[in-house]
Amino acid sequence: MMSAEETRASLLLRLRDSQDQLAWSTFLQIYQPLILRLTCRSGIQEADAREVTQDVLLAVAKSISRWETDPQRGSFRGWLAKTTRNLVVNFLVRQTRHPRGSGDSDVNRWLQQQVDPHSSESTAFRQEEERQIFQWAAEQIRDEFHPSTWQAFWRTAVEGDEVAEVANELGVNAGAIYVSRSRVMKRLREKIQSMEF
Amino acid sequence: MVSQAPHCDQEQLQRLLDGQLAPTVESDVTCHIETCDACRSALEFLAADEQWWQGTRDNLSCHDVLDGLGPLLSRDGPLDRATSVPLNFLQPSDNPAMLGRLGEFEIIELIGSGGMGIVLKGYDQELNRYVAVKVLHPHCATSAAARRRFVREAQAAAAIVHAHVVAIHAVDPNHHPPYLVMSYIPGESLQQRLNNLGPFDVVDVLRIGQQVAEGLAAAHAQGLVHRDIKPGNILLERNVERVLLTDFGLARAADDASLTQSGVIAGTPQFMSPEQTRGDLVDFRTDLFSLGTVLYTLLAGHSPFRAETAMGVLRRVCDDTPRPLREANPNVPVWLEAFINKLQSKQPDQRPESAESVADLLKQCLAHLQQPTRVPLPPQIAAPTSPGPTGAWGRTPFVARMVVTILALALALLCGLGVWWMQLPRDHLTTVVIPRSNTQISDSSSSFDTNWNDTYRRDATELERTIKQLETESTDDF
Repeated sequence: MMSAEETRASLLLRLRDSQDQLAWSTFLQIYQPLILRLTCRSGIQEADAREVTQDVLLAVAKSISRWETDPQRGSFRGWLAKTTRNLVVNFLVRQTRHPRGSGDSDVNRWLQQQVDPHSSESTAFRQEEERQIFQWAAEQIRDEFHPSTWQAFWRTAVEGDEVAEVANELGVNAGAIYVSRSRVMKRLREKIQSMEF
Repeated sequence: MVSQAPHCDQEQLQRLLDGQLAPTVESDVTCHIETCDACRSALEFLAADEQWWQGTRDNLSCHDVLDGLGPLLSRDGPLDRATSVPLNFLQPSDNPAMLGRLGEFEIIELIGSGGMGIVLKGYDQELNRYVAVKVLHPHCATSAAARRRFVREAQAAAAIVHAHVVAIHAVDPNHHPPYLVMSYIPGESLQQRLNNLGPFDVVDVLRIGQQVAEGLAAAHAQGLVHRDIKPGNILLERNVERVLLTDFGLARAADDASLTQSGVIAGTPQFMSPEQTRGDLVDFRTDLFSLGTVLYTLLAGHSPFRAETAMGVLRRVCDDTPRPLREANPNVPVWLEAFINKLQSKQPDQRPESAESVADLLKQCLAHLQQPTRVPLPPQIAAPTSPGPTGAWGRTPFVARMVVTILALALALLCGLGVWWMQLPRDHLTTVVIPRSNTQISDSSSSFDTNWNDTYRRDATELERTIKQLETESTDDF
């Protein structure tokens, strides 16, 4: 929905500096749960999913220093989605050789589903990524606002409650609700766009 | 009337958004916006375009704060988080000093809040005692499934009656939002104690571990898995050397209630601690792992997978074993470190067989520490079945030691190869992971890596054979 590629580029650049711990911790906060969720979706056990997630993050750690933001090469998140999928496949293949409960047919079915690299899987990745980033950003900026400002935003812009009702509960006029939620919205957008920590 | 005023200009709206208008002007413009749709839209567009507003609704709805169910006595969140919780489900109270009423309880104050629920301190007039009332967050209670889950888990947890488990007195399944009533424990959580006073003594950790394991054993006997054992969920009763486990089964209810369960992970700065990830396919042994993590954390002062840098964390994950506990706290006896390692085995079947046995062992260890000359260490602890990385080394037979040394050298060689391989120039970064040829997904640039993999596999097979041979010889010798 937004120009995600550009906004994430700065984080990527910073990740290449292994001393930049903040960049890493932000990356982990957003992408670790994301990868885990995607991995879990493939139906493998939770403990195994955790392992695969670790592998993906390691792959990132190992190759990020050589990553160039080159349009020819495709996006970083495309690469991440692909790596995640590959590692899950790897894991499933390994498991087929030394089965640990999941039957052959499951693996095959899953492999069949994954033939198309542009399938719903990459859409899922995008959706999960977006959700994770929004939530991360909301958590980051929340403390910058007065509780009632935040409530005005949360109740009306997120939960879809009536402005009049919320204004009444918070004891302010409706105009103040509009202003409050716009201020939070602006900050949220800036936070996500800049990925500035 | 201001609403009759002409439309605001862009600059004025921008300054309103940035909070740069004089208070009187701001209040005028705000009033105008209340009635003027055009200016309101312009303001909201200045803040962000429609896609952003839509994205915000889609991505944030149904997910409140991201940090899971807060600990019972938590006050550590920012104040606004606590005060912004809508308490409109409370009935008015006759007593003006109270926040309100919930069922038969007078609600005194809000003592904590988390992603899934809030905790209120209440007063039970009939029994003249304080209670803690945990309320499923109204945001989460909109789903009938979440409500049912919450009630079911709470009812199951209410069946656990044990000295080291916070008692659940009542569950109200019909109230909206649903809530449960439990004992109010004055004191602090282990996490709070850790934050305030730093690592615990070995003796205290053994005592705490024993008590937690006993509480867990009682739950496991009922078929109930806690799933979220962490220092924040273990309460230390004030002035008494007693700990109590809380939030049984609620981790699972939280899964249901908010889809952003993994947001729990997002909210935790530490990386890869088992409490952070929860799935459906776990049994009681997950609690044993977490208990190991808790004991480690209490002794070290930090959780096992922490490192100084994010890169270090990743390396730790690569090594797949936490930093040795005794590095962080040299006072920890070797046998205790080995026992905690056993609790934290990656394979559940490598962990101790039950919480009961853990409680029993820790109790004997405690007795040993208090009277070392009279009480020996339990044999399982004194001589672990699988030799740990330290201590047991000296007792290992020579040939076995040789096997391990060879193995280590071979591993080092392979790692070296791996590093060399990683440093080779690549055309594509997409080949970090190479699917095997029998999968349908293959990569055009993978021929080199496939060769390498084959070589590697051959080497590994040979190595394995050599080790097998040595092993057979060694068992013949002894």
